[in-house]
Amino acid sequence: MRKLFLICSLLCLLGNTSLQAKEYTIKEIPMVHLQDRTRYVSNPDGILSESAVSTMDQILYQLEQNTGIQTLVVAVTGIEGGDCFDFAYRLGKEMGVGQKERDNGLVILLSTDERCIQFATGYGLEGVLPDAICKRIQSRYMVEPFGKGDWDTGMVEGIRAVNGYLDGSMENIGAEEEEDMFPLYIFGAFFLGALGLTGLAVWYQNRCPKCKKHQIQRISSRTIERANGFITEETTYLCQNCGHTFTRKTKSSDPNFRGPRGGSGPIFMGGGFGGRGGGGFSGGSFGGGSFGGGGAGSRF
Amino acid sequence: MKKSTIIIIAVVAIVAIWGVTSYNGLVKMDESVNTAWSNVENQYQRRADLIPNLVNTVKGYAAHEKETLEAVMSARSKATQMTIDADNLTPEKLKEYQKAQGEIGSALGRLLAITEAYPDLKANENFKELQAQLEGTENRISVERRNFNEVAREYNTSIRTFPKTIIAGMCGFDKRPYFEAEEGANKAPEVKF
Repeated sequence: MRKLFLICSLLCLLGNTSLQAKEYTIKEIPMVHLQDRTRYVSNPDGILSESAVSTMDQILYQLEQNTGIQTLVVAVTGIEGGDCFDFAYRLGKEMGVGQKERDNGLVILLSTDERCIQFATGYGLEGVLPDAICKRIQSRYMVEPFGKGDWDTGMVEGIRAVNGYLDGSMENIGAEEEEDMFPLYIFGAFFLGALGLTGLAVWYQNRCPKCKKHQIQRISSRTIERANGFITEETTYLCQNCGHTFTRKTKSSDPNFRGPRGGSGPIFMGGGFGGRGGGGFSGGSFGGGSFGGGGAGSRF
Repeated sequence: MKKSTIIIIAVVAIVAIWGVTSYNGLVKMDESVNTAWSNVENQYQRRADLIPNLVNTVKGYAAHEKETLEAVMSARSKATQMTIDADNLTPEKLKEYQKAQGEIGSALGRLLAITEAYPDLKANENFKELQAQLEGTENRISVERRNFNEVAREYNTSIRTFPKTIIAGMCGFDKRPYFEAEEGANKAPEVKF
């Protein structure tokens, strides 16, 4: 349902803006990656074709799987303020593109009104993708087709070239380890607490109600009731200290019961959400990498 | 009598704890201002490091533009002599620093303007990449300057708002200056392609 709504709203957006150039603010850029972690290219104005977008998405998804590098590609007709560097940098910074520990985010912005292509590299990528290389990729693969209005070719070739430099430049080490440790501690504490409580309960159960000594012995037990998947048993105990006998009723679930619950359990969260590099329940997420103004831009 | 002494001790303890935590908070902010300042200096240094290479490349094609080339080198040497320790960052010193760096900027601007007349130079791969690096460095400088101003503003607000201003006054936390908006001289060179 949500997906349907999203598609509808995207279509509306397309219909409205295809005739006039819209000047986007940072917040207005749709973050497709947050809805679907396999998508990286935000193409709200339909500047790029479907097939070009999906080709780039595939390349960039593979890149993130291999290296952990997160990319955000944005192609729009216009940006507010008209400063391509500033817009790309702020996109990266405010969305937190890249893993937090390694700052390995990359933003690629194409604005057709400003006639600019701008890369913004996170701190961690300044070494593998220096400004001069960004510039070289732009002037070799992107500027010429862009000048002719061939957005698809320029973008796909540019992304391929970027991927060529980045793929293999780093390992995809788990960026979430540190975050995972915290719930682990909580879990451990709960586990120990539960263990302690169970122990206490068992200790109390082993006590003779008359002389308070822990020397009771189970003599016999019989089932009195079997209903709705529960068995009620009556167990007789003898205290070896004072000779007191007593009975206790216990209710437990019936292992042989096949009731209305049926075969399959409830399904939690269908589909391939969450997972590596993202970690959110609904699609992907950016890791919070920071940017220091790296990258380069070209005009066409 | 006994009750009142307990109350006094409790109040003194609370004030002491408050004092210690806000002092530590101010120290932390002070340090982040220092870090932001050293980031700014690093980026300016990075630009200065690019200049000899750039000048040499231009020299190969436009040796007779001696005056412009020398202007860049002298502005560079003047500015690199000047480093400010983050702890004695006064408005006057910052202004001076900004002026020296601004002179590099305008000298570089003139240098890049004359390169327009040399198509061979403009086609040189090395020159193109130096230009890209220079442009990237200018971007980084503006990012770090903005960042410094933000951190300094946060710190200044903190030491001047009421309860903490007492601690700041007692322990000598001073206000930090900001980078001023550019006025001509410090304008980053317009790098056009």
